Amino acid sequence: MHRLAAAPHIVWSVLFIIAPLMFVIYYTFTDANGKFTFSNIASLAQASYFEIFMRSICFALIATAVCLVIAYPIAYFISKAKPKTQKILMMLVMLPMWTNFLIRTYSWMALLEDTGIINTFLGKIGLGPIHMINTAGAVILGMVYNYLPYMILPIYSVMSKIDVKLIEAAYDLGSNPFQVLTGVIFPLSLSGVISGVTMVFVPSISTFYISQKLGGGNFDLIGDTIERQFQTAYNYNLGAAISFVLMILIMISMGIMNKYSDGETEVVV
Amino acid sequence: MNRKKIIELKNVAKSFDGEVVLDHINLDVYEKEFITLLGPSGCGKTTTLRIIAGFVTPDTGDVMFDGVKINDVPPYKRHVNTVFQKYALFPHLNVYENIAFALRLKKTSEEEIYKRVEEMLAMVNLAGFEKKDVNLLSGGQQQRVAIARALINNPRVLLLDEPLGALDLKLRKDMQNELKNIQRKTGITFIYVTHDQEEALSMSDTVVVMADGKIQQIGSPTDIYNEPENAFVADFIGESNILDGVMLDDYKARFSGHDFECLDKGFAKNEAVDVVVRPEDVDVVDPEKGMLKGVVDSVTFKGVHYEIIVTIDNFKWMIQSTDYVKPGQKIGIYIEPDAIHIMKKSEYSDMFGDYSSFSDELEHLSDATEEEE
Amino acid sequence: MKTANKVYTWLVFIFLYMPIAVLIFYSFNASNSTSAFSGFSLYWYKELFSDSATLTALKNTLILAILSSVIATVIGTLAAAGIYKMKNKYVKSGIMAVTNIPMMNPEIVTGISMMLLFVFVGGLVHSSSTLGFGTLLIAHITFNLPYVILSVLPKFKQMDKHLPEAALDLGCTPAQSFLKVELPNVMSGIVSGFIMAFTLSLDDFVISYFTIGSGFETLPIRIYSMTKKRVTPDMYALSALIFVTILILLILSNMTSDKERTRMSQKAKKRAKIAVSSVFGVIGVVTLIVLIASSGTKTLTLNVYNWGEYISDGSDDSLDVNAAFEEYYAQKYYEETGERVKVRVNYTTYASNEDLYAKLKSGANSYDVIVPSDYMIERFIKEGLIQPINLENVPNYQYIKDDFKHPFYDTGADGNTYSVMYTYGIVGIIYNTEKVDEEDIGGWDLLWNEKYKGQILQFNNPRDAFGTAMYSLGIDVNNATEEEWRMALDELRKQKPIVQSYVMDEVYNKMESGEAWIAAYYAGDCLSMIENNEALDFYYPQDEEGNYITNIFADAMCIPTSCANKELAEEYINFMLSEEPAIANAEYIYYASPNTLVTENAEYQDYLEDDYDVIYGTIPEEDLPELFDKYAFRNLPQDKLELENRLWEELKVDASSFDPSVYIVCAVMVAAVVGFGIFKYVQKRKRRKLYWNNNAKSPATA
Repeated sequence: MHRLAAAPHIVWSVLFIIAPLMFVIYYTFTDANGKFTFSNIASLAQASYFEIFMRSICFALIATAVCLVIAYPIAYFISKAKPKTQKILMMLVMLPMWTNFLIRTYSWMALLEDTGIINTFLGKIGLGPIHMINTAGAVILGMVYNYLPYMILPIYSVMSKIDVKLIEAAYDLGSNPFQVLTGVIFPLSLSGVISGVTMVFVPSISTFYISQKLGGGNFDLIGDTIERQFQTAYNYNLGAAISFVLMILIMISMGIMNKYSDGETEVVV
Repeated sequence: MNRKKIIELKNVAKSFDGEVVLDHINLDVYEKEFITLLGPSGCGKTTTLRIIAGFVTPDTGDVMFDGVKINDVPPYKRHVNTVFQKYALFPHLNVYENIAFALRLKKTSEEEIYKRVEEMLAMVNLAGFEKKDVNLLSGGQQQRVAIARALINNPRVLLLDEPLGALDLKLRKDMQNELKNIQRKTGITFIYVTHDQEEALSMSDTVVVMADGKIQQIGSPTDIYNEPENAFVADFIGESNILDGVMLDDYKARFSGHDFECLDKGFAKNEAVDVVVRPEDVDVVDPEKGMLKGVVDSVTFKGVHYEIIVTIDNFKWMIQSTDYVKPGQKIGIYIEPDAIHIMKKSEYSDMFGDYSSFSDELEHLSDATEEEE
Repeated sequence: MKTANKVYTWLVFIFLYMPIAVLIFYSFNASNSTSAFSGFSLYWYKELFSDSATLTALKNTLILAILSSVIATVIGTLAAAGIYKMKNKYVKSGIMAVTNIPMMNPEIVTGISMMLLFVFVGGLVHSSSTLGFGTLLIAHITFNLPYVILSVLPKFKQMDKHLPEAALDLGCTPAQSFLKVELPNVMSGIVSGFIMAFTLSLDDFVISYFTIGSGFETLPIRIYSMTKKRVTPDMYALSALIFVTILILLILSNMTSDKERTRMSQKAKKRAKIAVSSVFGVIGVVTLIVLIASSGTKTLTLNVYNWGEYISDGSDDSLDVNAAFEEYYAQKYYEETGERVKVRVNYTTYASNEDLYAKLKSGANSYDVIVPSDYMIERFIKEGLIQPINLENVPNYQYIKDDFKHPFYDTGADGNTYSVMYTYGIVGIIYNTEKVDEEDIGGWDLLWNEKYKGQILQFNNPRDAFGTAMYSLGIDVNNATEEEWRMALDELRKQKPIVQSYVMDEVYNKMESGEAWIAAYYAGDCLSMIENNEALDFYYPQDEEGNYITNIFADAMCIPTSCANKELAEEYINFMLSEEPAIANAEYIYYASPNTLVTENAEYQDYLEDDYDVIYGTIPEEDLPELFDKYAFRNLPQDKLELENRLWEELKVDASSFDPSVYIVCAVMVAAVVGFGIFKYVQKRKRRKLYWNNNAKSPATA
């Protein structure tokens, strides 16, 4: 009876995970009349699509790196705090996620606009308006803002489990604080970093809402292009093809990351 | 025999992933008996227990309960209950509810449950612990709860899987006595699994020594200790000096270049045999009075006695003596005829006996505390 | 060091909470601006509780979140138990790999993959309303499942593996053992899995966006369609309320758990039990409410799909037309049949004709009334996506001016009428008088004026955007050759660097706040914007001879072929033509009405004042048919439609916004990481070499 317990899930997975992916592949390799074709994939070879893919990858990479740089010290500080403070701080990290991300991003629009809150404030203290909205920076900021908790969370949870004795041992063996960080804490928290990187990179590379609102439609990303094919252009085949390539791209980058991380731990040991 | 068989294993075999764990064993368990399955880890004792409990189905052979084949009876329909190695108390239930668990399944009335649980708690000396969280109990207390929980069902047979393994030495001794008392009081058949030979000898009516999926010997504790059937049993039960010898005639054995008188007979003339001499049965005497002579390698103080390692004829003997000797001292040893036990050669013959690699014994013990599957 | 840490932590938290602070702050704003604070007011909180659409969306979101997380928790817990018991390693890891797909895959891919499945299956069974609550529920369960399994499975692994055996040993059947022993022991995993699933489902936008159908709107979807034009501060108020609720809940749970830590797990278990039972209690209550609400009276549902800001919706003391229809028809139904019914108008909005086309063409959405524009109506008729209207059921049709009864897009050649005109209008250019010089206005060239770089908004739909370029170039928008289409594309490409963004109804917010200065948009909307910002003005573009050269359009109500209740749809259309709603709409949206009940109404004329002339007078009514012929968009032949789509795609993905700094930063980063990797690798090789050398030596020395 126990072995059968997974049956509903397996049936569900086949129907609603595997079958839909089969449809993505089916639409990728057929035209509007259902005939087999490579033209959808081929059309992605255009320079402009290449540009979109490159742009998405770059934006996502930068956003991920910025998240990591911001999140790592925060996670470290939190893991060093008293247990009760830790709990409260982590709660505060998670709390913004309970407010809908669309409306938070929209709120950033109000902050960043030329006539927005920040520029109004700057104007009042005599600083000229800084153009922020509809720039690459604004899009990346949106990504960083929305996905930062996804980076803090896994790094923190790994760090909080690091045995204090290991750190003490490192000091005992003559490490200075920086060496403790690079030689002990960082390698041990690497698994958290890896999962944080994945959790930020994947939604960043595929977002469409952030680029629409904070980029003003001037920085089309992969997500925007897919969304347009399904919601406006009615070109499911092209949309499926882009999604298909995106999926492959993510699979490859995860593969690289896993390999890289394996190599790292080996070096450490 | 007028005692009634309650469980019979007939030609039972079991392998996991092609690895033989039980090699066609036969075992009878009698009513009201305290029987111990003793052996090192991986010998198949726990598997035997799990077959009786119903968690493992044998590949071949039959399991009989009261003369009825129960191979396909699921565990919850068998009249046996188990005390698990790490107790397996339900962490989400308190002491009372853990013990009452089996009765609740039977839809027993609350009054009856209350009465029985109180009885059980009194029996295991845990009266007043009803509302305690099981996770906060000490190991010994958890142990008692596990026993009470298993006994409340009035099982015909209680299976105990290394129940004292996690307790410290002092507590273990107390629990041994208590278990024995409970068994006597309730009259339930106990099948007890352990790797601790001392525990086995002190508690059991019958000891079953197992190794490599086979039963090596079945017998009373004294039989097992005094008349081990092969080198494995001799080595596993207590300390033994096991020497290669030749049976010259009935009551006459030769080993270490000396002829000894003994009480054994029935061997072929000049048959090669294994000779067992327990360390405490060796007397230390002056070299000239000794049957054998040797030089003391080392002496260790053990409290009740000294443990002396002596090299005689390239064989390291272990001797336990209350008299102190100095390392390097030349001594003689004297062995009474009844201290010599002769065994037939077996597959274990050359694996045990010499004390030159003494520390192996300790490793062997610590390994055995690991759970076998 | 210590204070530096604190400062840093504070800065990060300020960053995290800044937008939330902004929205809470502006939820107390007296006006609906998000840049100027005009005084403290609880107006938007009051407004929130009278905004039935938002409250319905909130209710829908909760129902969906509860149902999907409960079902996912049940399936997921069973699955975790099954996977835990599985012996075969390969089967196990295979199942886990599939389970993880929705978690690892980008949400958009999960969303579109499910949409493709649903659309395909819908096509197979010829259902016109595949997408809906059911598909949404399936999608939510699917992406919730991995989170439940991943939080329950470790609990199974942590559980003493002898516990189930102990239960069997004591007389439990396997099922009893699962219920009485295993389940209570993994309960903490189940609860956290459930909470996680609930949260995710509550907040999900992307996957819902692709799998949602007509007639069901969740809060995130509603917020999304709002952010397409402007978010009313009552949504801020709702967000603030949700935020504060969660904050209080978290503080409470934190406080109790601190107190209980000393008393340990027995109490904690009791608390978990209370939590679980209260969750189930809530579920029960909600289901009960839904049941009562739905079972009490028969509900007639009408799915209306319209442009954003295109109906009088009750804000600013206007008439809530949809609510009025619900009331009106419920009463009428009672008078005719003696039966009490509930009438519900599901009113959702789209941003462009092309969006509407994509939705309708997918065949998975069922709408009862839609309001496409002229050229799109032509296309719908041609492709059989809309059906003839039975005018006997629309008596108010008589009030439509004769000129507008059978316009070019619905000529009535086959004796049928497919559309009832809702409004007509002209595309004009709206500009900020404080920023734009008077001498620059007049023609289309204002949209290409380099002087206003970064302040210009362009249409975010191909037909209108290409239209601006073609009118500006003097190309016939309906008979353009491929070459001319490409010329228009080049013109738009030329414009792209000076365009601030491509927008539809976002234009409202951007123009009114002064964020952008120039935009081409529909006349009625322009007047609405001027109403809100006095500094704005607009004009109809003219050529050098002073002839108007701009798009003139008509939007009309149609009934899709997939309509479920045609008579109700016709009732609705008829209602929209009746005096009170028609005037309310005309006053609210500032578009020209073809309805004589409106145009001849004195009060209406008074209400519009000068705007009446702008709306109706600029172009004399008798010239309209000619202008329609000349400048209205017509449905394009298939090859041109495909061309248009292709060129639009080219424009959108155009590399004009190339920003090298981003790529440089990215390249430097990648180089740093790769460099570090190589450094580590070399270091490792060196160490290994040393190790080997020493090891090779050691046997010799030993």
